[in-house]
Amino acid sequence: MQVDLQDPWSPLFGRLTLDSIPYDNPIIVGTFLGAATIGLIVVAAVLYYKKLPYLWREWLTTVDHKKIGVMYIILGLVMLFRGFVDGLMMRTQQVMAVGPDSPGVLGAQHGFLPPFHFDQVYSAHGTIMLIFAATPIMAGLGNIIVPLQIGARDMAYPYLNAVSLWLTTAGAALIMLSLFVGEFSNAAWVGLMPLAELPYNPGVGVDYWMWAIQLSSLGTTFNAINIIATIVKMRAPGMTWFRMPVFTWVNLSTSIIGLTAFPVLGVALSLLTADRYLGTDFFTVGHGGNFMLYIDLFWIWGHPEVYFLILPPFGIFSEIVPTFSEKPLFGYLTMVAASFAIAGIGWSVWAHHFFTMGMGPDLNGYFSSATMLVGIPTGVKIFNWLFTMYRGRITFTTPMLWAVMGIFLLLFGGFTGMMLSAPAINYTVHDSVFVIAHFHCMVLVVAVGAFAAVAYWWPKVFGFKLDERNGQFFFWTFTLASIVVFVPMFGLGLEGETRRLDYVFNPQWRPLLIAEEVGIVLYCISVFYFLKMIYVSLRDRVPAGDDAWGTGRTLEWMTHTPVPFYNFAVTPQINALDELAWRRENGLDKVKPQTFVPIHMPSNTAVPVIIGAMAMALGFGMIWRIWWMAGAALLAIVVAVIARSFDKNQGYILTAEEIAKFESKTELASMIAEQPKRTPLDHVEAH
Amino acid sequence: MSAHHSDPLQNPEVQQGSTLRFATAFLASVLFMGAALLVSQHKLPFLEFAEILVGLTFLTLAAQATLFFGLDISRAQIWKSVSLILTVPLFIISVGLTVWAFSSLYSRTMLPANEVPSMSMPMDSNATMSMPAQQTLLQ
Ligand code: HEM
Ligand SMILES: [Cu+2]
Repeated sequence: MQVDLQDPWSPLFGRLTLDSIPYDNPIIVGTFLGAATIGLIVVAAVLYYKKLPYLWREWLTTVDHKKIGVMYIILGLVMLFRGFVDGLMMRTQQVMAVGPDSPGVLGAQHGFLPPFHFDQVYSAHGTIMLIFAATPIMAGLGNIIVPLQIGARDMAYPYLNAVSLWLTTAGAALIMLSLFVGEFSNAAWVGLMPLAELPYNPGVGVDYWMWAIQLSSLGTTFNAINIIATIVKMRAPGMTWFRMPVFTWVNLSTSIIGLTAFPVLGVALSLLTADRYLGTDFFTVGHGGNFMLYIDLFWIWGHPEVYFLILPPFGIFSEIVPTFSEKPLFGYLTMVAASFAIAGIGWSVWAHHFFTMGMGPDLNGYFSSATMLVGIPTGVKIFNWLFTMYRGRITFTTPMLWAVMGIFLLLFGGFTGMMLSAPAINYTVHDSVFVIAHFHCMVLVVAVGAFAAVAYWWPKVFGFKLDERNGQFFFWTFTLASIVVFVPMFGLGLEGETRRLDYVFNPQWRPLLIAEEVGIVLYCISVFYFLKMIYVSLRDRVPAGDDAWGTGRTLEWMTHTPVPFYNFAVTPQINALDELAWRRENGLDKVKPQTFVPIHMPSNTAVPVIIGAMAMALGFGMIWRIWWMAGAALLAIVVAVIARSFDKNQGYILTAEEIAKFESKTELASMIAEQPKRTPLDHVEAH
Repeated sequence: MSAHHSDPLQNPEVQQGSTLRFATAFLASVLFMGAALLVSQHKLPFLEFAEILVGLTFLTLAAQATLFFGLDISRAQIWKSVSLILTVPLFIISVGLTVWAFSSLYSRTMLPANEVPSMSMPMDSNATMSMPAQQTLLQ
């Protein structure tokens, strides 16, 4: 039943031939050389400083939620940079290729990217930014902070946590690989139908896209399960539901979306896989197939997905605004309720992405009003933040600046979203860059939330603050850049510029396109300040206290800074919402535990990394139709999982004396320090 | 923390599983899927065909829920039962609205073949008529 391809195919290498490697493309070769050089330098440095065992033992095989979170965020930031370069290329192409007289270089008729490459660039940009930058960064933050906020030792399933990370990494690695071996999809991040079907897209690009998001979405689903189980089961004594910080609440609601919505994506992609590999007709035209069905399934996941991304930043702002206004959060209960209302509504509005399909007035009316409903809980949140700031003692540190900027962006994105949700307006601007500007306001909330959170919690994780001065430069250049890129884009959209153009036919749009290019240059400057901020902070390492900002309110600020690998020396007893603020008021915040009980810790395991590597091999084998490779990789995963279930390693015990020693000298126990080897237990009593 | 984390095999959920039930569930799923394949080879009125398919789907789901996951209404299963029930509204919304949207889609976006005079291609495939038909309707 397998589809016949016209390409050459060999049992050993599948569709892979030497021609698949684009060594004649100067941009790709340059990128490859750059990446290879950096890679070699990193490897050489690791080997030279003999850090390989450390890297393997403390990071690659770790099951510690904080380290996994840090790796998630590093992965996300690397991909964010890759996605940014894609954006830079698109903006530059559009400013070069305006009007019939515009010159072309590097084999392009206009600009520097031929259509075929431009299409891959925007497809990669969207996929990477949403799935491999925003999602991992938010997942990483949830991983680090949620257990700390509820007083837990770790996530409910530390091993599954590592599996999630490495599955996501496998997907990201596949996308990066597509740059150098073969090609990437040209069918956009949504998988435009029927363009993504085999007859229209016989290369491996769509397969790369499909398998990369399929693998990472598995990882995201596991992570959602893990977060839910952690919040339901692992709260410290006294941490009742309504004492939970809002960031934890939004992680619960976002994970419920993740757990329920991602399977729909999995199904849509599996059906597409069947179409492309087995010749079924789910989304082709003819034989009863219907490609709008794919669009429908995709957005049943896709819209919940965008709320999956935006909810964590809401939680981040809800932590930062009270801390830097020195007031409790206004309207805690409504904040929690609004998070769940947004999640619920997020599930029932998906068809606003294809009002123009022809569902008829009844359904368009329903989806329109359902979409508008989401403005209510979102508005509640905005007012809550404002009332929290009202008459507060506000300090504009970088996290606070980012949070305020996020609120502004949310307003812009929200109002333009409201416009788009009216079908009459939508018919005129659908598929124009107005939509692009709308959702960039929204996804910028996610980016801004990520920067806010990184600045806010950085001292907790690493023990020193990020450099404030460069942080502010980063903030202001980024803000200016966002305005200069996206305000003109709204204008161009209203003037009728459609999205995904490799060539802009109307020379009158040039001034605004030039403005956007200026904006992207400003973004480049902000990237510089970001790197400088990290460099200066790593160089200076000004130590931070346990409550790094002095006005923290929640449990995570009660742990040592940096957090020891066992989190809490003694599981805390929770007395109030905003536990730390409560203890401060009652003069208990300086009280330290004196007696310790042994802590049972999980041991590291190499199985998750192996599963990740094999998952990547499975994807690569399927993409290039190297069946033996895919089969062997799948078998290896199954064997690894079975083998692990016979592993009798039961973790190890941290004795009371050790904890006492660590507590007096926390650097020893810091999550980045090298821990001594431990002998695993082979039997533990229930406790 | 759960009571048995010393031996994975002692975990109540692992204890619940049995090779026999696993095999039966697998067999049942394959059987129902095979039945669906058989049915699809026959020319049936659309509605009847859809009904049979939906019926088979539910049978498969029931077999998997009871046999794979050992789902029942006992207290021990409360978390599983509750989460299953909580997903029902999502099914109703997504499947229901999809059915609604697609039930009239064809008649809204496609013209009957005899009303497209300019087309010279044979009318037996949907592909050939989608674009011009849609444009005519929108005007
Ligand atoms: C007030 C809430 C919101 C409303 C009313 C709203 C409304 C809409 C509508 C109607 C569209 C379809 C436009 C079209 O294609 O014609 C759209 C597109 C989009 N929205 Fe929103 N939205 C909201 C919030 C968000 C949030 C929070 C995010 C993400 C974090 C987001 C991300 C997107 C994306 C990514 C697209 C376009 C996807 C694509 O076609 O590639 N939106 N929005
Ligand atoms: Cu949407």
